[in-house]
Amino acid sequence: MPRSRRSFLKQSVATVAAASVAGCAPDGDGESGAASDGGTRAGATGTRASPLPASTLRAVGEAVLPAELGDDGRERAVAAFERWSDGLEPVAELAHPYLVPETRYSGPDPRPGWAAQLQGLEKECRARFGSEFGEIDVAARRNLLAGPVGQAGTGLGSPSNAGHVAVALMAHFFRSPTATDLCYGRVIAKQQCRGLDGALGEPVHVAGSEGGAP
Amino acid sequence: MSRVIESDVCIIGAGITAAMVAERLAERTNASITIIEAGQRTASLAERTNTRARMLAYGENPYPNDHIPDQTGTGNMYRQMVVGGSAMHWGGAIPRYSPEDFRIRSLYGVGCDWPISFDDIEPYYQEAEERIGAAGEQGPEDCDPRSKPYPMPPLPLSYNLARMREWTDSAGIPFWTQPWARNTEPYRGRNVCQRCDTCAVCPTGAKYTPDFAFDQLLAQGRIDLVTRTLVRRLALEPGTDRIAAAEAVNRDAPTEPIEFRAGTFVLAGGHAWSSHLLLLSANSRFPDGLANRTGNVGRYMTGHWYVSGFIDLPMRLYPGIFANNSLLTHRFASPGPLDRYVRHDIRLWESDVGRVPRLRNGDGGLLWGDEVMADWRERTDSGATARIRSYYDVLPDRDSRLTLDGANTNALGDPMPRIDYRPAQASLDLEDHTHNTIFGRFEHLARAAGGSMMSRRTSRLWEHPGGGCRMGDDPATSVVDRWGRTHDHENLFVVGAPTIVSSGCANGTLTFCALSLMAAEEIGNGLGGG
Ligand SMILES: Cc1cc2nc3c(=O)[nH]c(=O)nc-3n(C[C@H](O)[C@H](O)[C@H](O)COP(=O)(O)OP(=O)(O)OC[C@H]3O[C@@H](n4cnc5c(N)ncnc54)[C@H](O)[C@@H]3O)c2cc1C
Ligand code: SF4
Repeated sequence: MPRSRRSFLKQSVATVAAASVAGCAPDGDGESGAASDGGTRAGATGTRASPLPASTLRAVGEAVLPAELGDDGRERAVAAFERWSDGLEPVAELAHPYLVPETRYSGPDPRPGWAAQLQGLEKECRARFGSEFGEIDVAARRNLLAGPVGQAGTGLGSPSNAGHVAVALMAHFFRSPTATDLCYGRVIAKQQCRGLDGALGEPVHVAGSEGGAP
Repeated sequence: MSRVIESDVCIIGAGITAAMVAERLAERTNASITIIEAGQRTASLAERTNTRARMLAYGENPYPNDHIPDQTGTGNMYRQMVVGGSAMHWGGAIPRYSPEDFRIRSLYGVGCDWPISFDDIEPYYQEAEERIGAAGEQGPEDCDPRSKPYPMPPLPLSYNLARMREWTDSAGIPFWTQPWARNTEPYRGRNVCQRCDTCAVCPTGAKYTPDFAFDQLLAQGRIDLVTRTLVRRLALEPGTDRIAAAEAVNRDAPTEPIEFRAGTFVLAGGHAWSSHLLLLSANSRFPDGLANRTGNVGRYMTGHWYVSGFIDLPMRLYPGIFANNSLLTHRFASPGPLDRYVRHDIRLWESDVGRVPRLRNGDGGLLWGDEVMADWRERTDSGATARIRSYYDVLPDRDSRLTLDGANTNALGDPMPRIDYRPAQASLDLEDHTHNTIFGRFEHLARAAGGSMMSRRTSRLWEHPGGGCRMGDDPATSVVDRWGRTHDHENLFVVGAPTIVSSGCANGTLTFCALSLMAAEEIGNGLGGG
């Protein structure tokens, strides 16, 4: 039975992980979105429940993530974003830039703002359409999102710096190894422990995308 | 009253240069060795899997507690003060300097010659490469001289770099694989590289970091490593110029001083803190600071500048296969006779610049979902990006200087360092010529591929900094001799970065290590070892 691109990706990432030596980072589930779902923060109080309203977030995901991911793929991407968001520590010490003698910290917690944005979407939707955000069609959802998302610049930078939750969700997915592999139609598996063998070969096609990027 | 700790050799600082000295002395002498480190231990190898994950996900510092909040200077300097020093975070690029670097005055009439030649330092380069575990490819002999093979085969070229090497070959410029402090075979109990591409923090231990050496020496009972202990000054033996003690405080008990007494002192504090400690140690015999009779401590602070850019290539590459490997050429660091001085390396990396997903298309229109993917694919289908960068050497002015900054003190009230780098006039006069020459070579490379420069920039960040205690035969113009022994104090050595004369056009740490091993040989000779 031919495998879908998504099941191929899932399996290839699992194979990479199995080939890893002890000490290699597990790199999340690879399919999930982030290069990593984050690890545990020393001194952190543990994983928090996501403060982001789950159904609205998923409805946003349908509007801003690629449809080619399919329902399962989008669900995995949104769930990975939630895990990432749960692990986010505000005002954490950042990696030192090269040859800069000061210490730098990440910004304040973006999640209360993101949660409020999702609640705001629901309110506006009810006011305008008398229904929930997830019940209006994708084009209408994008219309509602266009205003706040339009305030962002061109790039998809670090999700934690995103002013709007939709941009954070997009940045989290599109910067992931999964998105890169989908874009190229090849199993590059960036930043995953892949071993040195195989570096020289052209990355294999993601199943279902032979003959060029899908 | 101070607590006293005695040893034959006292090493101040626990960075990579200290690791070199300690390892060699431990192997070749019976000397007792104490290492004092102001910082503490950071993430162990086992913890790096997790800190790596957090760095990738959130940009967090993968080395908790790697610096001392109130111990920080002004100017270009590393933040790290930790067991292992800056080489916990380093990338591990370990090229040698070129033979020309040691003779630029004789060959080109600029800067200063070193008191040593490439041939003098070559065996110590080899030794450093063996201690660190270097994986490298022999380049053409006329621009990559070495007497023995690398200890390990090079990192394999990725598909991307192999395609890029075909391109650079067609441009008639020899490139070879960057030598790295990363294992391509199991080496000294450490793993093989897994190509996970986050070399600032290596979760496998394939990248050399000095903590491995210290752990081994500790397990063998060959060193004492005293952490969280800041040396505040070096004190003289009454009536002589010999160093008697390093006066320190444990940062957890700053009111209880500790005196480290030793026959030989090795200052391995890196490019900033070494000169700083000598200046802090001023006394009535040396009112301007120790080792500073001729006023050269803190002077000739140096480093290299760079020019860089991105090249648009008409080829299909897959950024992400191995971003932390690169191609290198030293062809232009060993250029032969020159009408006008310019020497530099060139490095090439895969890159995704200009080819990452974005929120808006070229016209500024917002993109959603599949549109983002389509826009991204359009730009990756149309070609690839290479990152290109050249380090070029900048000759330091005598007034390129580290001084004590009374306006910035630590919690103990000690003034912190301030570094004001300044290039010699000769370098300023050569700057345009240097940029034009290097950018001309970038253009040549781009054209050879049928590509074009996407962007270019110049930088005056003094990379791989050194100086402040430069070496020389003449005490009037230098602080230490060729072995790192201070001209003024027979039992005080300064090792590594502070002792360089100029910083060439290659990453400096391997040279700092080789210089430290030279010093260790001289110290060992004095201890009946070698
Ligand atoms: C992100 C990054 C990437 C890099 N990549 C590369 C690379 O690829 N190739 C390369 O060649 N170089 C690289 N470098 C530079 C390299 O790390 C340094 O050149 C090298 O580690 C310097 O070693 P050192 O022993 O001279 O000094 P340091 O590493 O600075 O160690 C000195 C130690 O001495 C301690 N100390 C200082 N003063 C005192 C005192 N008074 N009392 C007690 N302890 C004291 C400090 O706390 C410190 O831990 C990189 C650096 C960074 C930060
Ligand atoms: S690529 Fe190799 S050296 Fe770099 S972090 Fe991964 S395992 Fe370590």
